[in-house]
Amino acid sequence: MGFTGLALGAMLFRDARAAAPSAGLSPSGLPHFAPRAKSVIWIFLCGGVSHLESFDVKPELNKYAGKSIAETPYAKVLETEGKNIIGGNPGHGNRKVIMPLQTGYETYGQSGLVVGDWFKHIGTCADDLAVVRSLWTIHNDHGAQLTWQTGRHPRELEHPTLGGWVSYGLGSLNENLPEYVVLGTPTGDCCGGTFTYGSAYLGPEHGGVRFSTDPKKPLPFIAPPAGSITPAEQLQNLSLLGKLNQLAGIDYPDDQNLRARIKSYELAYQMQASVPETMQLERETEATRQLYGMDRSETKAFGEQCLVARRLVERGVRFVQVFHGGGGGGAWDAHSAIKSNHTNLSTQVDKPIAGLLKDLKQRGLLNDTLVVFGTEFGRTPGAQGDGRDHHPQGFCAWLAGGGIKPGVQHGVTDELGFHAVEDRHYVTDIHATALHQLGLDSHKLEIPSRKRLEMDHGEPIRAIIT
Amino acid sequence: MLSQRMNPLRPAAYRGRSLPWLAALACFVFSATASATPANRAAFEQHYDRFLAKELNRCTTCHLPSERKEPKSLAEFPHNAFGKRLHQLGGELTAAGKPSSLAARLALVAKEDSDGDSVPNEVELLLGKNPGDAKDKPPAKELSKASAKQAEFAKFLAAYRWRPFETVQRPAVPVVKNAAWVRNPVDAFIAAEHEARGLKPRPEATKEVLLRRVYLDLTGLNPTPEEQRKFLADTSSDAYEKVVNHLLDDPRHGERWGRHWMDVWRYSDWAGWSGGNQIRDSKPHIWRWRDWIVEALNKDKGYDRMVLEMLAADELAPLDTDALRATGFLVRNFKMLSREQWMEDTIKHTSQAFLGVTVGCAKCHDHMVDPISQREYYQLRAVFDPHDVRTDRIPGQLDTAKDGLVRTFDKKPDQRTHLLIRGDERTPDTNKVMEAGVPFALCGLTSVARTGGKLAVEPVKLPLLAAQPDQREFVFQDTLAASERGLADVREAFAKLKTNSATAPEKLREQELTVVATETKHAALAAVIRAEKFDVAGRKDSDDWKRAATEAVAAQRHQAVVDARLKLHQTQTTLAAALKKAEDGKPAEPKAPAKKGDKPADPEALKKQLADSEKALAAAEKDLSAAPGTAFKPRTVESYPATSTGRRTAFAQWVADTQNPLTARVAVNQMWLRHFGRGIVPTPADFGRNGRPPSHPQLLDWLASEFVTRGWSMKAIHRLLVTSSTYRMASTPDAASAKLDQDNFFLWRMNSRRLEAEAVRDNLLFVCGSLDLAMGGPEIDHNLGLTSKRRSLYLRLAAEKEVEFLKIFDGPAVTECYERRPSVMPQQALALANSELAFTEARRLAKHLATDDDEGFVRSAFAQVLARRPTVEEARLGRDFLAAKPADAATGKDRARENLVLVLLNHNDFVTVR
Repeated sequence: MGFTGLALGAMLFRDARAAAPSAGLSPSGLPHFAPRAKSVIWIFLCGGVSHLESFDVKPELNKYAGKSIAETPYAKVLETEGKNIIGGNPGHGNRKVIMPLQTGYETYGQSGLVVGDWFKHIGTCADDLAVVRSLWTIHNDHGAQLTWQTGRHPRELEHPTLGGWVSYGLGSLNENLPEYVVLGTPTGDCCGGTFTYGSAYLGPEHGGVRFSTDPKKPLPFIAPPAGSITPAEQLQNLSLLGKLNQLAGIDYPDDQNLRARIKSYELAYQMQASVPETMQLERETEATRQLYGMDRSETKAFGEQCLVARRLVERGVRFVQVFHGGGGGGAWDAHSAIKSNHTNLSTQVDKPIAGLLKDLKQRGLLNDTLVVFGTEFGRTPGAQGDGRDHHPQGFCAWLAGGGIKPGVQHGVTDELGFHAVEDRHYVTDIHATALHQLGLDSHKLEIPSRKRLEMDHGEPIRAIIT
Repeated sequence: MLSQRMNPLRPAAYRGRSLPWLAALACFVFSATASATPANRAAFEQHYDRFLAKELNRCTTCHLPSERKEPKSLAEFPHNAFGKRLHQLGGELTAAGKPSSLAARLALVAKEDSDGDSVPNEVELLLGKNPGDAKDKPPAKELSKASAKQAEFAKFLAAYRWRPFETVQRPAVPVVKNAAWVRNPVDAFIAAEHEARGLKPRPEATKEVLLRRVYLDLTGLNPTPEEQRKFLADTSSDAYEKVVNHLLDDPRHGERWGRHWMDVWRYSDWAGWSGGNQIRDSKPHIWRWRDWIVEALNKDKGYDRMVLEMLAADELAPLDTDALRATGFLVRNFKMLSREQWMEDTIKHTSQAFLGVTVGCAKCHDHMVDPISQREYYQLRAVFDPHDVRTDRIPGQLDTAKDGLVRTFDKKPDQRTHLLIRGDERTPDTNKVMEAGVPFALCGLTSVARTGGKLAVEPVKLPLLAAQPDQREFVFQDTLAASERGLADVREAFAKLKTNSATAPEKLREQELTVVATETKHAALAAVIRAEKFDVAGRKDSDDWKRAATEAVAAQRHQAVVDARLKLHQTQTTLAAALKKAEDGKPAEPKAPAKKGDKPADPEALKKQLADSEKALAAAEKDLSAAPGTAFKPRTVESYPATSTGRRTAFAQWVADTQNPLTARVAVNQMWLRHFGRGIVPTPADFGRNGRPPSHPQLLDWLASEFVTRGWSMKAIHRLLVTSSTYRMASTPDAASAKLDQDNFFLWRMNSRRLEAEAVRDNLLFVCGSLDLAMGGPEIDHNLGLTSKRRSLYLRLAAEKEVEFLKIFDGPAVTECYERRPSVMPQQALALANSELAFTEARRLAKHLATDDDEGFVRSAFAQVLARRPTVEEARLGRDFLAAKPADAATGKDRARENLVLVLLNHNDFVTVR
């Protein structure tokens, strides 16, 4: 590109931005207490990954396969007393005949984590993971994808996502890239759509920015047509634009869109160089590319996303949200043929995610990068034909890096994986944990006129924090 | 109720409709005359709302339990004393011609004591005791709490209740203090909420802001500088109203709002791959439906009529090719890969678009939160199961792959619809055939309510030309014309061969025979068409028909002879060539691998073929002398069932019924959403319990009633809304009101909004003087999005066929788009700052605005691009920018002006409506 005066450009814009008044109580951009992590890579698998065959393996299901739950010694798992069930799956009336595990399992590492064979590669990272096995959520359909991101039921429409809060609370470590980047195909419109990476009342400047990982065209219109404008002119234009936007905003001091637009021009200007540079995956060594599975067709696409995620956090992006299987209800929604569904999909993600963990670790980045692996809910122990149904009342996720205790397992579902029974956590406890590691207290971020419920804030899961 | 429903985390709200409720419902077998319908139960629940004790939200509040272990029908659940009284009252009220809704009946029995335990029904209900069971009565100490509860409940009943599933009762227009602000009833409803909440409406927007707002809103394009001057100079009291009338009459209005309704009605061009056999979603030529939408809006066709035509024009106006375009609404759901998905989309989106209800859930199980059963879902499905899509010919084009009228028709009138157990197409419940119907709970006061939701279906006998579209006059003419063109071609080819001395004699002879064959074929075709025309005219078996049919038979016999001669000649020629080749010692192998239909080169096979050809010719010649007959071979034509089920008509009539509870509400809410930036019901495609409650329920009901009263005229509603004081408010903030209502839920100011994708692109072209205002026609390739100058609604939109520029500005999602969600992204900045489109247009406008002085240029550019005058400071910044030393030696004054225009195109105000 060969831009000159980048700093000048940025400065002009920052002036315009500072003059545009902020919404609510703008945070200082400083953590509230000493942070353990700088960035978050938030991997989200759309459709509902079986907890039973991934990181909360239940061998009892093999033992009692074909029997109804009531016929097992664990009939009591169906009891809901004291389990605070909201929006459970009423269809379970028909899903009580136990289906055996559809894959094998193995014990890994010193921590002795049992992992389903669909996630063998991640299994080799067992000693870096903190698995939370006692999650529950409030929606029995794929709207729970939105719940995972915002803590709210889809009926309530838009609320800030975790990424939005992080962007709002901490701002950027790199003026050349957005604070909050989205990779992969996000959740479909049925189940949250753009809300799943939105920022709601925090203003669009804190929403996620979608990137393609195509190095030839990471973003459309990334450069002006050849010969149309010189870099110096571009800078002059942007300077005038900043001043005009600032003037036009005088009558609309609370306009979050204007603030966001001013920022978007600043960012766009910088991104002309920074984004193509970030997407130059060919600069990575062959060994690194292989680590992410980029040498194989089935793992290439997600491997690229994981590698780009690493390159983004390396460059100071705060929150990278990586979607897998997005669109519609989500690819992992294995109501039928769960065996082939999860086999195919786990093949796509297992190696790249393990590669990401290993790569972050070998580069020393795992210390201040928190990686979270999640899905909207688990799947029923009972069979739905040859698939499993939605299961919001007990499922799992894992966290790694960023000051999270390595090699621990926290929380318990009952013997059949039906209900979370010990150390139950609502999904926002994961949000609170992530914010805590970033040095943020969500109560302090709260905007006075936007009262949040305690359930929105959640509680950091202390047991998995070092 | 509002606050309760906005907080989904209340466990009770879930428990109230979880398993026991559904299981209880399932024990009731549906019967049209039965009272314990899901709707009655919902109405009961709705009447008492949060005042209803959990233990009373069950069947036994009105019914006695069945004595049998496995009850077979509702008759086994007789009413208890309370239920009996409600039932009896229903009959009495109906007989007296009074409203007999459950709510009305519950109000009447409130003070009665049905079970004779000396505690009034309402007191028992409020205290959680069964009003139909004398043994279940509140203890004395509980009774003391009753009066407080009753007072609270009375207050609740007196407040306006949002009952979207009941027919609209026109509310009275409130009387407000701020009467001077009220221009029309819309304002009265808005002001009432302002006053109740201490909100102060913002003053009227400046004339410049208002003019640009209403231009963009109604036509999607800026006012021109001339229009700005005219409006600013017009000081008459109705200056604004004149503008509104002018804009509503402008054909651009139909394009602007056409695109809005294309969102709601899920317009999509065809998706898949070309070559014709991989058209996966929607269909080619569906743009005719888009043109129908635009035309209908410009003509202000009633919304009810639009609904009827979209769902059933093929039954209601089977020969009206203009109206048939409307059925593109259904065609759009076509799915090559799955009929199941096709039907699912049809039901789901028809319900969401017109009724604002999500029935999709009921495919697999009873709806969890709205009163729609799985059975009712399949009754809806029975409405659509027989239908399919086809492409009819249009004048001047016989090849429907190239162009045609794509439309709906009932292909399988006898198709049976079965409930699919758990929604699984592999497990239909074949014990029962589902009859066409609609969910009972949504019937309101429509006549369908009297039959429990079953539609009164009348089969439609289609006119001959609807079932046999190829018997239409233009098809006859086009067919003959095409045949004539073919004839001219072979004659010309023959003439050419004749003048060429190098032509082999057998080749010349072949062409000569071809000419004769084509002439004869043409003559036979003409004769057949003559006969068919008598048939179409209803004169089959008339003397004229007999004469024509006899001629057709004779012509076809003659054609057979000529064809046989040609064939014989061709076989002889091929054989001669093959024999010669064999003599020359060359292997008689074809150069290219033999294709199917190629003549075999093997002389022996050819000899056999020759004998066959001779035989065929002899037979044809013999036929010539056979007795004359009338049994001619008809043309191969498209032929469709002569009757249509009439199910879609019955359904459409129910949707478009003035008493339908949802249709008008949903439509005015969609209009409101696009004028004000948020629907009165914030979830425009879900008016059920999963949606969000309205901010102004009375206003929405009043508007729905007004819409129907005004003959479903959309322009009347547009006029009403945009001329209101509410619409004319400034969008500037006010600290005091913001403190009370930060999200402007109660409209104390106008909402600022970002332009939709299409409006950004169209207006960019328009203000720079490039927009091509041609209307209608086939969709334009999506790859031409940055070079075509046509309005964006004419650009192709389908899965994997989208204009990138529009996508970046949150263009419509192809699968569904009941509401746009505008974002602010750096990608948008890149698109406006770096695209060839922006550069070309900026250059063009800068040249067009050429003036000598910089001040004049800055003023013109502001007027043209932002539709306003620059402030003193803005003008100074502009002048300084133009006067500054060029950043680059290569750039001069012209370039600086181009850059200034480019900057204004990137200005926040350009993409924002204030």
